[in-house]
Amino acid sequence: MIYLDNSATTKPCEAAVQAMHEALENGWFNPSAAYGPAVRAEKRMWEARELLANAAGAKPDWLVFTASGSEADSLAILGSAARFHGGKRILLFAGEHPAVLRTKAQLEAMGHTVETFGAGPDGVVDLPRLVSMLDEHVALLSCMQVNNETGAIQPIEEIARLLKQANPQALMHVDGVQGFLRVPFRMERSLVDLYSVSAHKIHGPKGVAALFVREGVRIAARVEGGGQEHALRSGTENTPGIAGFAAAAQWMLSFPERAQALRAVKMRLYERLRGAVPLRVNGPDPGGESAAPHILNLSLGVRGEVMLHALEQEGVYVGTGSACSSKKREMSAAFRAMGAQKSAAETAVRFSIGMMNTLEEADEAAQAVLRCLQVYGAFQRR
Amino acid sequence: MREILLVRFGEVYLKGLNRPVFMRALVRQVRHAAEPFGGHAWLSDSRIYVSDMSDAQACAERVAMVFGVHSVSIATEMEKDDFDAICRQASQMMRDKTGTFKVRASRSDKRYPYDSPKINELVGGYILQENPQLRVDVKNPDYVLVIEIREKATLHIGRLEGAGGMPMGTSGKACLLLSGGIDSPVAGYMIARRGVKLIAVHFHSFPYTSERARDKVVELARILSQACGRIDLFIAPFTQIQMNIHQLCPEEMTTLIMRRQMMRIAGCIAARERAQALVTGESLGQVASQTMEALACTDDVCSLPVFRPLIGFDKIDIINKAEKIGTYATSSLPYEDCCTIFTPRHPLTRPRLDAVREGEARLGEGLETLIQAAVDGAEKVVVEDGRVLQDPGHPQEAEG
Repeated sequence: MIYLDNSATTKPCEAAVQAMHEALENGWFNPSAAYGPAVRAEKRMWEARELLANAAGAKPDWLVFTASGSEADSLAILGSAARFHGGKRILLFAGEHPAVLRTKAQLEAMGHTVETFGAGPDGVVDLPRLVSMLDEHVALLSCMQVNNETGAIQPIEEIARLLKQANPQALMHVDGVQGFLRVPFRMERSLVDLYSVSAHKIHGPKGVAALFVREGVRIAARVEGGGQEHALRSGTENTPGIAGFAAAAQWMLSFPERAQALRAVKMRLYERLRGAVPLRVNGPDPGGESAAPHILNLSLGVRGEVMLHALEQEGVYVGTGSACSSKKREMSAAFRAMGAQKSAAETAVRFSIGMMNTLEEADEAAQAVLRCLQVYGAFQRR
Repeated sequence: MREILLVRFGEVYLKGLNRPVFMRALVRQVRHAAEPFGGHAWLSDSRIYVSDMSDAQACAERVAMVFGVHSVSIATEMEKDDFDAICRQASQMMRDKTGTFKVRASRSDKRYPYDSPKINELVGGYILQENPQLRVDVKNPDYVLVIEIREKATLHIGRLEGAGGMPMGTSGKACLLLSGGIDSPVAGYMIARRGVKLIAVHFHSFPYTSERARDKVVELARILSQACGRIDLFIAPFTQIQMNIHQLCPEEMTTLIMRRQMMRIAGCIAARERAQALVTGESLGQVASQTMEALACTDDVCSLPVFRPLIGFDKIDIINKAEKIGTYATSSLPYEDCCTIFTPRHPLTRPRLDAVREGEARLGEGLETLIQAAVDGAEKVVVEDGRVLQDPGHPQEAEG
């Protein structure tokens, strides 16, 4: 099996599995309790907090653990909007994950106005267009670090600067689920106020994620209860998940050249295909600076789903970047945001690389793609 | 005193000299339906009774699904000699009811001390005396308490409507073309309800259709098997034929030519499995391949009769039926099936048979071989009583 759908989820690394096992076997005490083993569980959680904060270039007490990246996004956006007085303007990048875009209805119900800003043909935010939308009434802006479908790296630090120029009080949220530990970013050094990350995209477990909330940024909880996580996310902490999350981050950090390693695999795959078959890149130039090291979205002329299943037969697992579900045939937000053609969205296949992939796998996957194209390339819906 | 089910049957009554055959089949199937509940079924006085079931309501619902059953009532069976006890039981059964009622007694035991009107009067009077919240209304009551005096006395209120139709297996065997859509499961159910055992054929076009589309069809067959008993589902590989049609045949007739190959393959599997007819979910005019001309082109390749029970149904009627038999939600899952993947932009709605034959001829002499390969390569999935008994294609754990 060659797994190239790491933007959907990653295989947990051994260190994460071991850390979770240990936390389940021995560290299962409620970290809020007063006796020794519970205190030790709390201490381990604190160590995890420090490690993860350090990985994001943030402070440990900025971190709020949640159960998913989507929950972290909701907490950031709905939680901060709930604290605004009166109706405000809120800007969302049009190519966001549904976890961000679908907060629109609730934001509008709160009395805010939600607008979206698009991207250029390479999937990167159209800055001049965005600047024309900014003013002192914009209270919140959300833009992802890396697009989950095209791999486009967004100029979030620049956007944050422009936003604060227009309104120093405005908040900037970044969904970093696809960028965390793969694209360089130090939250402390940026003007970003809220930053979401998730464990299962970095070879950690599902069911655990985090939102970093810069000090001084006031947001309202979405879950009430025992007051855990600075009362921003009540509920007994998922200590095994948190242990796995930290172990996975530590494992990622043990590869100082990880972005280069991911990029090498991606470029190998791209080079093997380019030249061999006609293809179109959906998103930025794979070799360019705007392209994330681990995501390659290509239109190969065969409908995405067919290619996915054909590759599945070859033991290669990929995603359909456009996420066009068969009967709906709607273009995904990312493709619409960059003004893509319907044909590009329908034929898009997303290869996403993880730390466990090798150059040999890239070669084999490319061979498999070429074989599939030979069989299915000629048979297309007219 | 005990709880029993009264199971009434409908059309079996109409049968003449072969009636015992139908009765035996019906009793066997009621017995089978009651078995998981520990129920014990027997035939007496033109009625099937079930006793000793652990959960009367659930057992009654299951028995009501048996084809050939007209209705089911949960009844109390007791000794008929103690009339006071009958009155007390009747009153007890009405205790939590409000509104109007009447008592309807019948007796086959003509030596019983009271005749039917007298029983009505005595029991009704007792119920009124004990339940002042109730009133009698003989014309249009909210509740009818039925008392039957046979070997024993039985009392019941209300009935569950049964599935109707004919006992399974008394009308032969047919082969259903089962897609992932809404219509074909309903068509299969309707034919099975007429006492027909089903087998089914599904066409799978991996990688054009996914593992999920296949699982969806297995799930549809499993749901059908709750009412229809065992179904052998054959999943025929269809990719090569579809690709050839798409590549070689005129675009506007690809759907029709595809339907013809489906009928051919289903016909071969039906013959091998000794099924006597094909069943499809087609409804006149629903889509281009379901116009009268198109159906004639499809039937051109069939030697077995083709049953289309939905032919005169509106889509909304079909959807309602699908909801009733429990297949609608599964049918609505959005996985593409082989009927939709190569849909032409402008399919012919009034095809001419000779033109279609000509278009099909472009598939060449290899067609027979391809059809035989699909017939021989079909995987067999077995479902029965709502369980998947055998599924060779169930996704195996991928190797690390």
